[in-house]
Amino acid sequence: MKEMKIAKNDLVSFLDTLITEYEVFAPVKKDSSVVFQEIYSGSEALLDYSNSQKPPKEMFFPQKERLFSYDLSPKKAGIEEPLLAEKQRIIFGIRPCDARSFVLLDRVFSGGVYKDIYYIDKRKKTLVIALGCNRPKSTCFCTSLGGGPFSQEGSDLLLIDIGQEYVVQVITDKGEELIKKHKEFMEADEQSLFSMRKVVDTAEASIKFRVDVWKVKEKLDGMFDDPFWDLVSEKCLGCSACTYLCPTCHCFDVVDEVIGQRGERIRIWDSCAFPNFTLQTSGFNPRPTIKERVRQRIMHKFKYFVDNYGVAACVGCGRCIRECPVNLDIRAVLNSILER
Amino acid sequence: MQDLDKKADEWEPKIIAFLCNWCSYAGADLAGVSRIQYPPTIRVIRVPCSGRINPLFILRCLQSGADGVLVSGCHPGDCHYTSGNYVARRKFAILNNLLEYLGIEKGRVHFAWVSASEGGKFAELIKEVTEEVRVLGPARRLVKSEWR
Amino acid sequence: MNGDDLMPDISTMIRDTARKLLEEKKVDLVIGFEKGTLPLRSTPCFIRNSKEAEKLVWNASCENNLARYLRKRQEKIGIVAKGCDVRSIVELIKEKQLTREQVFIIGIPCNGMVDRKKIDLKLNGREILEAEEKDATLILKGYNFTETLDKEEFLHDSCRTCKYRNPVIYDVLIGNKVAENEGTDEYEEIRQFEAKSADERWQFFTEEFSQCIRCYACRNACPLCYCQECFVDNSQPQWIGKTTNLSDTLIFHVVRALHAAGRCVDCGACDRACPMGIDIRKLTRKVQMDVKQLFHYEAGISVDDIPPLATFNLDDPQEFIK
Repeated sequence: MKEMKIAKNDLVSFLDTLITEYEVFAPVKKDSSVVFQEIYSGSEALLDYSNSQKPPKEMFFPQKERLFSYDLSPKKAGIEEPLLAEKQRIIFGIRPCDARSFVLLDRVFSGGVYKDIYYIDKRKKTLVIALGCNRPKSTCFCTSLGGGPFSQEGSDLLLIDIGQEYVVQVITDKGEELIKKHKEFMEADEQSLFSMRKVVDTAEASIKFRVDVWKVKEKLDGMFDDPFWDLVSEKCLGCSACTYLCPTCHCFDVVDEVIGQRGERIRIWDSCAFPNFTLQTSGFNPRPTIKERVRQRIMHKFKYFVDNYGVAACVGCGRCIRECPVNLDIRAVLNSILER
Repeated sequence: MQDLDKKADEWEPKIIAFLCNWCSYAGADLAGVSRIQYPPTIRVIRVPCSGRINPLFILRCLQSGADGVLVSGCHPGDCHYTSGNYVARRKFAILNNLLEYLGIEKGRVHFAWVSASEGGKFAELIKEVTEEVRVLGPARRLVKSEWR
Repeated sequence: MNGDDLMPDISTMIRDTARKLLEEKKVDLVIGFEKGTLPLRSTPCFIRNSKEAEKLVWNASCENNLARYLRKRQEKIGIVAKGCDVRSIVELIKEKQLTREQVFIIGIPCNGMVDRKKIDLKLNGREILEAEEKDATLILKGYNFTETLDKEEFLHDSCRTCKYRNPVIYDVLIGNKVAENEGTDEYEEIRQFEAKSADERWQFFTEEFSQCIRCYACRNACPLCYCQECFVDNSQPQWIGKTTNLSDTLIFHVVRALHAAGRCVDCGACDRACPMGIDIRKLTRKVQMDVKQLFHYEAGISVDDIPPLATFNLDDPQEFIK
């Protein structure tokens, strides 16, 4: 695909035009953190940020999603069908790690026998414009997981900041169609591409932490009964901060909420860190202590998901590292696994 | 519980009343037997003692759309189980203050001591509580269906 | 922290104490802090071998309440505990979650822990790559910047109102006692908030708690939230829903505050654990203030105190009762 470019000064007007046709979601500043929300004017978008607090998986897999509702009252008896997205959406300015997480979530929600219509509908109706990372954080380790600060996976367009302009890598047909409709874009010249390559090289080289996840997987194959898990899980609080903030974690529960004659079936995020996650009706719990649950989380991400889908369920975004209340650092865990 | 089909001017407060079996419930019964009139706004839940009240009962009422909640027990010193109402009194003090602090309107949640012989007091109590709730209008703040 | 920790004396004394306890088999396990993997972070560490005592550190990032790890333990445990942590231990002993004999308290007089979220706000999102504690300042370095901050200004709110900086009980005290924060009204913030209108307060709480993602980090970080099955997981009856419906979320936090009534020592662990930066203490401190004013009781001071909600006085306040 060819490369285009857009001047930084034209970006706001580009976004403003998009807002007339699409629901546009962009990073927005909120106190000391950054959130993804719908913007109503191009100037609201924040482009100078490292990453959002909550991952954008919410765009396709919301924390609370009404699957259907029913009403048994005499006047309205019936089931109300699921609400599917109406307008086309654009997610603007997300990071390549988060864009890549969509590809991993696709394997789960639309890659198998059962197709999740709620997820797929939103995916089909959304265009992803990612923003490459010129300066990855010290907690980023995307390159170890098959991604990178300028990875194209999961995006339709990728913007690369080269100073006064963005080079735009056109990745999919959907992305190309969008570019064609907007006059702010022009073909990238040699100089822009040269600057782009410099930016990319610098950024990739700046990622210090590297780990061989394939070796980790090999180790994990034989580690189920290893006493290692007792030690590594001892400080874990068993909250679900890491799972909820992880772009690839996708466990959920389905609950029915009923008030009188009306009810809703709602899908909500759930976490393998909770003790009741695996509690069976008999009362037996195959993961009774935090050790089994921490083991499960690591094994799922770096072994079971690899066994099932050929890729680790982690994009190296570093959110779990920054937000864990007790600084249980997954990088340290991976290194310890390699040392077993 | 909320009758969304009713028009605004037809609204009558719905108040859940937790009455302890030995004093307050008997007091309410006496009001009935004595044919003392009071507004038909309460729905009574009989409990063995005011000490049985878990703050979650009150919160669940508010969540389900009750416009008001009343908890009534024996006077201090007269508890059928000796000290149930004393223990409850401390719990209620903390709960009452916290709900008000949260921003729940003062006048939604009420506490009272009504003895088995106070049929008249019970009726007056219900009149008073009903008026305080009526002034506030239908409950919305903690009502679950108000939030999505 | 960058390189060595702040107070080499205190860290060295902690290491020596831990080493000796383990060598002499006075304890089976020592729980303390070791260097974190990020600047301005420490992390809980569990030591069973005297050689590992070298790992222990003490600095202004030792913010976790390690008493959280004392539940359901059979072993004899040495624990590094600052003022607030020790008060949590007192409560745990009161509630028979552990015995006094089981725990060897390595008490540390504490001048406060640093609040990373306040610092992030000040730095406007710039990443800290190196941090050094130097006397009363923090020297923070990142890409193209060095900032020197006054540590005092960036302490956790719970540290600024703390009245029990020195452990109320201990088996050994590391370092010298520090001056207590006397004279200030620790509940001034709550009183000011109370003075606002009900609508304003409701507005604040709905906005603040709409951020809650129900991760339960607050509950899990709390040393005193140890129910086998938390009320949020009850299904018969189901008290509150599991979704992030704001009504359910508010009730979760209100009830958690109520369950901690008379037991919460305001260690701030809940507030510090919250990944969304919610001001949880705005709610929990109101309960704590009421317990003090209505029942003249403070949690965590003495193991002989009777929990206030397990007892009563014949003349307890009741003006609110008709």
